[in-house]
Amino acid sequence: MNFNELALDLDTIARDYPDNPLEYFKDKKLCLFKACLEKYFPGVRWGFQDLLEELQLESSTCLNQSCCSGTFFQRNLITRAQFSAINERNLNEMAHQAEIAFFSCNGCYNSLLRGRDFLKNPEIREKTQNILDSIKSELKSERYEGMYDILNNPELKLVHDLDFLYLIRNDVLNTLKFDLKGLKVAVHYGCHYLNLSRDKKTTRSYLGSKTKLEELITLFGGIPVDYQEKESCCGWGASQLLINPKEAHKVTYNKLKSAENVGADFLLMPCPTCLYTLSKPEYRQNIEKWFGEKLEIPTIHLNELISILRGCEEDRCISLTRKTPRLEEIFEIITEDK
Amino acid sequence: MIKKMADHTHIDWNWAFYKELVEDVDENKNIIQCISCGKCVGDCSAAKVSTFNSRKIIQKVLRGDKSVLKDSDIWHCYLCERCKRVCPKENINIPLLILNLRNQSFKKGYGPRYNDLRKYVEMSERYLTLGTVLEEPLGEDLPQERIKELNIICNFARINYVFKASQKKKKSVSKKK
Repeated sequence: MNFNELALDLDTIARDYPDNPLEYFKDKKLCLFKACLEKYFPGVRWGFQDLLEELQLESSTCLNQSCCSGTFFQRNLITRAQFSAINERNLNEMAHQAEIAFFSCNGCYNSLLRGRDFLKNPEIREKTQNILDSIKSELKSERYEGMYDILNNPELKLVHDLDFLYLIRNDVLNTLKFDLKGLKVAVHYGCHYLNLSRDKKTTRSYLGSKTKLEELITLFGGIPVDYQEKESCCGWGASQLLINPKEAHKVTYNKLKSAENVGADFLLMPCPTCLYTLSKPEYRQNIEKWFGEKLEIPTIHLNELISILRGCEEDRCISLTRKTPRLEEIFEIITEDK
Repeated sequence: MIKKMADHTHIDWNWAFYKELVEDVDENKNIIQCISCGKCVGDCSAAKVSTFNSRKIIQKVLRGDKSVLKDSDIWHCYLCERCKRVCPKENINIPLLILNLRNQSFKKGYGPRYNDLRKYVEMSERYLTLGTVLEEPLGEDLPQERIKELNIICNFARINYVFKASQKKKKSVSKKK
């Protein structure tokens, strides 16, 4: 049984399809993993969906998929076996309808890989299967053959949206109507992307991932700017924001302040959980109240940015609820006619 | 009284606690390789804003000092896995150790407090009724038959346990008064 081969092997695709990696995806069934926090940032999902459509790739979402449960696991409210069972159930459901699952959220992506990692331990594997079996025995039926059996060498592969977008960057570029017009962009990868090694086979792919956002910004006509707190956490910190808000906001404050200090026009990231933490108006107000400084740097998810650059309707890219004058300004600069 | 780390001597080394943890999570046997270089602390987001100190926690475990289970420190970890990335030794998984210690802390009834879990009560209720942690998710709701499956997988027994413990504590405090 293979527990490591869950992440899509991007190196092999890049090697086998050097001129047009998009071809690899053309005949595949694709599924978008639904991240809970996309609720607040629908442009994160819609922007990606619209792009796939323009690239003539058919995608779906999985009706039977639940939340990844990472937030509960990180607070020790569920066991490793329960966590793995939730994720194995989601994998089963997605594998039933797709060959590749895309992730817009670092947390969800990490949860699925981490849950699978735990199954290497025979004791946890047995407990997990027992939990999954209890679903079958209680429901007294299987909707499809082999339902909720721990997947043995799953054909389903997972890929983070950022990794996919980087792989097909030239095709993405061809869909863009606008460019970044020399805007200065600070990047935030997010801990569960930056520190993740579960999906990387080689040192090259591990280190290479840490420049992908900067390379995309340059390709899209922007200027990536470095800042001191680039690799620090957004402040969410496995729900520390809910338990110890003042400490967590300090982490957020340091990050935003550091990006503002280098003159970044906005902060770009590949995760809606980080986006939530770094942009929520209530949190910005708390920061002003506790640390005496109003920080206004706008924050944008990569999928939203691509949507803006593609010239999509504003409400399709950025939800109305998070509009700020500075974000509006960025939108206007980018979409100004040349 | 808890001793300061500097006050410890070689006779304080005690492997019983370490063995207990390893029995629960085998991977944690690797913490014995820790060379106390402190890279994990220097690069830690939590350490910058709280008293969280992963090196100190590892030393306490290796000395068999179970007071670490009562310390609020273990609940301040961001689980960002940065320590794992910068550690010069291979296979020391500090976030997994922290989760392991939190489990033990739960088992002994030390923490966390019910008040700290209030948000989780709401989220777990939504999870068991909607399949997500937020109301009105983007797109279609999870069908009711599938929600049943989630209820079979987990019932958040720990939240109930902490709630009952908090009620018990309240009663004993009001009795004393």
